[in-house]
Amino acid sequence: MPWVDVLLSGQLLFAALVTGSLYALVALGLNLVYGTMRMLNVAHGDLVMLGAYAAYWAFTLAGISPLVAAPVIAVIGGAVGYGLYRGLFRRLLGGAQVDAGRVEANSLLLFFGLSIILQNVAALAFTPNNRAYQYLDEVVHLGNVSMTGNRIAALAIAGGTCIGVAAFLSRSVAGLAMRAVIERREAAYIVGVDVDRVQWSSFALGFGCAGLAGVLLSMLEQFSPFSGFPFTVAGFIVIILGGLGNLLAGLAAALLLGAIETYGVALTSANLRSVLLYAVFVAALVLFPNGLLARLKGRR
Amino acid sequence: MNNHGMKRRTGLGALLATALAAVPGFGFAQADKPLRIGFSMARTGMLANATPSQANTYELWREQVNARGGMDVGGVKRKVEFVTYDDQSKPEQAVRIYEKLITDDKVDLLLAPWGTPFHISIAPVLEKYKFPMVGNTAASVALRQVKPGYIWFPTSAIPDRIAVELVTMLKQNNVKTAVVIANVLPFTKEIKNALEPELKKGGIDVKLSTDYPPDIKDMTSILTQAKQANPDAVLALAYPGDSVLYSKQAKELGLNSPFQFIAIGPSDAFYPKAVGPASADGVVTIAHWSPRPEWKGSQAFYDAYVKKFGEDPDYLNSALAWMSLEILEKAVAKNGLDKEKIRATISKDTFETINGPVRFEGVQNVITPTAFVQYQKGKLQIVWPKSIASAQYQPKKGW
Amino acid sequence: MNASRRAWTLGGLAGAAALLALPAFGNDYVVGVGLTVLMWIALTQSWCVLSKMTGYVSLGHVVFYGLGAYLVVVTWQQVPLAFAVLGAGLLAAAFAALVGLPVLRVRGPYFVILSFGVSELVKFSIMAAESASGTASRILFGAPDLSVIYYAMAALALAATLLLGWVSRSRFGHGLRSLRENEEAAETLGVPIVRLKLLAFVLSAVIPGMVGGVMATRSTYFVVGQVFDPMVSITVIAMAIIGGGDDAKGPLLGVVFLALLSELLWARAPLLYMVILGAILIVFVLVLPNGLAGLAARGRTAARPPDARAAP
Repeated sequence: MPWVDVLLSGQLLFAALVTGSLYALVALGLNLVYGTMRMLNVAHGDLVMLGAYAAYWAFTLAGISPLVAAPVIAVIGGAVGYGLYRGLFRRLLGGAQVDAGRVEANSLLLFFGLSIILQNVAALAFTPNNRAYQYLDEVVHLGNVSMTGNRIAALAIAGGTCIGVAAFLSRSVAGLAMRAVIERREAAYIVGVDVDRVQWSSFALGFGCAGLAGVLLSMLEQFSPFSGFPFTVAGFIVIILGGLGNLLAGLAAALLLGAIETYGVALTSANLRSVLLYAVFVAALVLFPNGLLARLKGRR
Repeated sequence: MNNHGMKRRTGLGALLATALAAVPGFGFAQADKPLRIGFSMARTGMLANATPSQANTYELWREQVNARGGMDVGGVKRKVEFVTYDDQSKPEQAVRIYEKLITDDKVDLLLAPWGTPFHISIAPVLEKYKFPMVGNTAASVALRQVKPGYIWFPTSAIPDRIAVELVTMLKQNNVKTAVVIANVLPFTKEIKNALEPELKKGGIDVKLSTDYPPDIKDMTSILTQAKQANPDAVLALAYPGDSVLYSKQAKELGLNSPFQFIAIGPSDAFYPKAVGPASADGVVTIAHWSPRPEWKGSQAFYDAYVKKFGEDPDYLNSALAWMSLEILEKAVAKNGLDKEKIRATISKDTFETINGPVRFEGVQNVITPTAFVQYQKGKLQIVWPKSIASAQYQPKKGW
Repeated sequence: MNASRRAWTLGGLAGAAALLALPAFGNDYVVGVGLTVLMWIALTQSWCVLSKMTGYVSLGHVVFYGLGAYLVVVTWQQVPLAFAVLGAGLLAAAFAALVGLPVLRVRGPYFVILSFGVSELVKFSIMAAESASGTASRILFGAPDLSVIYYAMAALALAATLLLGWVSRSRFGHGLRSLRENEEAAETLGVPIVRLKLLAFVLSAVIPGMVGGVMATRSTYFVVGQVFDPMVSITVIAMAIIGGGDDAKGPLLGVVFLALLSELLWARAPLLYMVILGAILIVFVLVLPNGLAGLAARGRTAARPPDARAAP
């Protein structure tokens, strides 16, 4: 395609936005957990997968629209996050004779164990078969851009949630406390921030976002118990690219990846899709070792 | 729903059978030792969502065989017990599993794993231990390089044959222009390699030809270009994962070419559930079986599968799995467990299966033709070649 | 200290002897188990040379394995296998030398994900190149016998253990530890951190390259995606964490524990083994936060008379 046509294409813009907003939502949850607790949640994609299953069962068994189920599933996800925090992770963080490096390593192992359990329990409970359903799959035309209803909905909800969380973080007191913990943890303690509450609420918020992303994705693609890992990977690429703990930069990085997925492929070739994605990632990180939009301060 | 019914080598089954055999009157009909049949299957990992169509078929067979009193082993019926492990979607793990099954578990018979890489990886193990196994879900030009002797491949869906037959079918339906998009994974890549020269030979103008990696998430740019080319046929050489992505995005962009071919995916019951019956209708895919009165047992197999699992069998993989079981059954009924005799029988005899007659020359099945099926009103019909067609090809009327 | 050192040496020798004798009296399955354990030892010990010592945790170490495997596959039956395997190690080292400088500028969790990104980049580049050249798959017939592969892997496992053992005791290792503790301070003290990091990176790549080359012979059908499997990297990290400790002994414990445990589980509980494995990992972390080596150290400290100095 001639490159001018590519850049002006409304169709590609729509596709880039949908892809980017979903990446952004997945990454948001991951960034919250990492930002406040410096833990790499390698089970994140599996939480997305569970959210997808929840929406699937709600729709196919009870006829509940995924749009209606979405907030419920997000809240349930949040509750699960809270429960896991209280049950497992608090104990991990509170241990006396372990150093920080060991805690990070242990949390990695803990999330890894969790990931294995989630995937395999899902496989045993739900069978490993692929799942998908059709919802809002009529195509709408705006000018010469065609858009499937469920993709518009996904874009709206994912985008809205990301903007909402960003607003929460910058406007509300609770959000301020969260940012404080993300940027300077010890200082936050000293100033009187209830770090424990910030931690469990970011855990809950992070898991809730993951569940919500799963609901949206279930409208668009098929999934199975083992399809979570690629979302974990995508999430990590985004948050590292943007800079850990930097939620707004994460959104930008997600949109960048969405753009590469569509425009990059259109300008080069579909064969190079993954090569491009990872090449941009590697190059960007080598040039900007703390993420593309890393603030110079605010590194712990 | 998740009952695979595998029993490990526990004594319980054997104990029960022995106890029953001691009861007067049970004598010859029951064996005192169950027949242990081993195989590996991907139950975790990236391929776990593809294997149920085969694992379910194995389980259905085991149930039916045991309901009849057991598998006929040279005249004696013995109950079948599966010894199976998870290869985690890794061929090297499958190699280790078959080594275990043969040297450690010492099973009586072997069944095939799922997928081409797995079949080919275990071929040397089978040869080393001179243990015959009938393959099923393997399709690659590479199969012809496998040394004949201990493994056979009943499928006719070999990529170069697919290319030839597909182009012939396209020409017969007046296709003048085409777009080819292909997943870079081996099977679809092989088809593409064979397809492009065939299309050229057939005088069909290829307006766009591109590959894409297996983890692709959005096909908008590819399909926008395809739509602009306005081809008579779109040949989406996709794997099950991207087959659904392709279908949904083709629908969104209105890629309404009348001939829509998707290589793998639509033969599985999952496909119409994922894209909806309206979208599935008219899609052409690779398979060489459907329930037909001429093929003994085909309707019975279909009905039994639907009854037990609540969905259609995979017209390609489930059918192949069942065929391989039928062949093994007949060979073992004739020869008992003598591996060399089993091998000789499978290599030479012609077998009647639910897919018609099957005979091997070397590793390949030389009777079953390379065929294509199409969704028509929610059912898959064989539309090519005419010799086994159950319905006429219909152009697709949009998504 | 001497008693424990003696215990370890004796245990090590006994283990080594058992492993070396395995092909003689074990069936193919048992030898396969041994091969798996040896492979993980070779990979994990090498990984530790970089990541344990310098603190640069590599989540993409499978890239060296994959490159090595690819070289052996591409030169299959055109070059004697032994040369191909050696070449595999050299290729991995060369690649490490090439990307080491830019990549090691990145630190902490950024490095973790970057290393993963590099591995995926190499994987997809090879995939795209193979596809562009029309290659769909590669078949490798004529692989050497299992016992040959086994002994080759045993040699690699031994080499990796010796390497890590030497590194952890040498001045070089001391320098690496210093940059793990505080890179800026080490730099101001005159430690040549760039050179040290790079050397550790390259050293950690050689053996995984050769391991990949050797393991490529086990699978007749070569798929690019298979040999760049992220799970390999993750498993290595898990084994190292479980092992704990700061020298060559910890990873050995971790490998043997996890490899044998997985083996036992998949053979005995075909349906549930993964769930059990995940649960064991979680319990392990909660109960033994310092790994198995930490457990061993605690045992030693408990046995030692109260006035002896605690081991580092």
